Amino acid sequence: MTGMLEVRNLEKIYTKSRLDRTPAFRLSADFRIDTPGVVGMMGPNGSGKTTLFELITGSNVPTSGEVLVAGRNIHKIRTDQRDRLAIHYHQSYQVRHFRSFKPNMLMEPARSDYPLLHLFDEPQFNTQDGYIGFMLDFFRKLRAEGRLVFLCVHPNERFHLEIVQEVCESFIFVEKGTVTPFADYQTLLAHEPAQAYLGDLLTERAA
Amino acid sequence: MTLFKVENIQKRFGSRVVLENISLSVEEGTVHGIMGPNGAGKTTCFHVLTGFYAPDAGRITFEGHDIAGRKPHQIARLGISRSFQIMNLFDDTVVIENVILALPEFRSRSFNVTQNVFDDTALVDRALEVLDQVGLADRAWQKAAALSYGNRRALEIAVALAADPRIVFLDEPTSGLGAEATRRLMDLIRSLRETYTIVMIEHDMRFLFELADTISVIHWGQVIAEDTPAALRANKWVARSTLGDVA
Repeated sequence: MTGMLEVRNLEKIYTKSRLDRTPAFRLSADFRIDTPGVVGMMGPNGSGKTTLFELITGSNVPTSGEVLVAGRNIHKIRTDQRDRLAIHYHQSYQVRHFRSFKPNMLMEPARSDYPLLHLFDEPQFNTQDGYIGFMLDFFRKLRAEGRLVFLCVHPNERFHLEIVQEVCESFIFVEKGTVTPFADYQTLLAHEPAQAYLGDLLTERAA
Repeated sequence: MTLFKVENIQKRFGSRVVLENISLSVEEGTVHGIMGPNGAGKTTCFHVLTGFYAPDAGRITFEGHDIAGRKPHQIARLGISRSFQIMNLFDDTVVIENVILALPEFRSRSFNVTQNVFDDTALVDRALEVLDQVGLADRAWQKAAALSYGNRRALEIAVALAADPRIVFLDEPTSGLGAEATRRLMDLIRSLRETYTIVMIEHDMRFLFELADTISVIHWGQVIAEDTPAALRANKWVARSTLGDVA
């Protein structure tokens, strides 16, 4: 059966330099998601969240392994059409360039007008302006239309946890390059590194 | 009746999608608000709707005519006017001349440098009528540069109205205005809604929620919500925000 997203034995290794090939950072992921939904992604800064988004949307080349979106290898799709399958909404307004050694004419067309996967990278949430409500409704709308939404949040205020609890049904925790999926918020909280990461915010909640 | 309809507009700049999938529909005689955070694509959206950029995909219809990809002056001739976020006025001329230069009667005349535009009483009268709509008739003969910021904004709207449009697009009309000038602008727009259909981008949400019949919320180049102000306000996160205090 074809999943919406299959991340197969994916690995990205950054070495210390071109000469010194000692790995400086290694990201590994292996998971699949078969149904539409809103997946919360959390983890400390520098743990590999944005790199994982880049690998899934095909703007970063894996060292090994593959990413299949609706059964299609994202890295074999024309670079100018990859965002028709999976789109990365960047933090602030940075633009990333797609690199490929193969010319687009030799690659596969996306055959889609609107992306199946929507990856939101730490969107700005501000309780003052009310936009949060519209953003959460939009994530739900995408899910209802059969799409898969990733919401990367780096919670540093309590309402960030309220947001993920309200809108995300499953979670992915990334720490030091290790990617672990969780079926729901409770099992995420049972995971010790996640507890340590959310530490203060959770105790505040108990208080 | 739907006067202006936008269906699935897409606009790319290079590899970047700036407008993903914009659809909206503006009913005749209403004020349609557009709001969204900085960088959401609001102004790009205006540029596409008023012909400054051609969309890469999608349809724009005005009174049933497909206008996507037409040039700004062709679109203006159909009865679509706009103002800009950054004001475009001729400061060295008097207020009324700014309006006269925008009148279709003036624009269709052959250009004659020897004739003083102010000698043409029909043009002057028409320009005074337009200035009266925005409350500037008594300042018609002042230098445009001497106007207060709020009055400059009103003059900009007068320039947009000079073309006798059916629909007016206003890009952040309150930007740079103080509280008192914003209140006066609110009264002005309220008075214009009798005559014109208005589409307005606005950062000042209180202003927009007061005036708009329908609001499209744009973010990530897409319409993420669209409803009446009352329905949008019912959202619990809106109720928690500073907007929740708006009566």
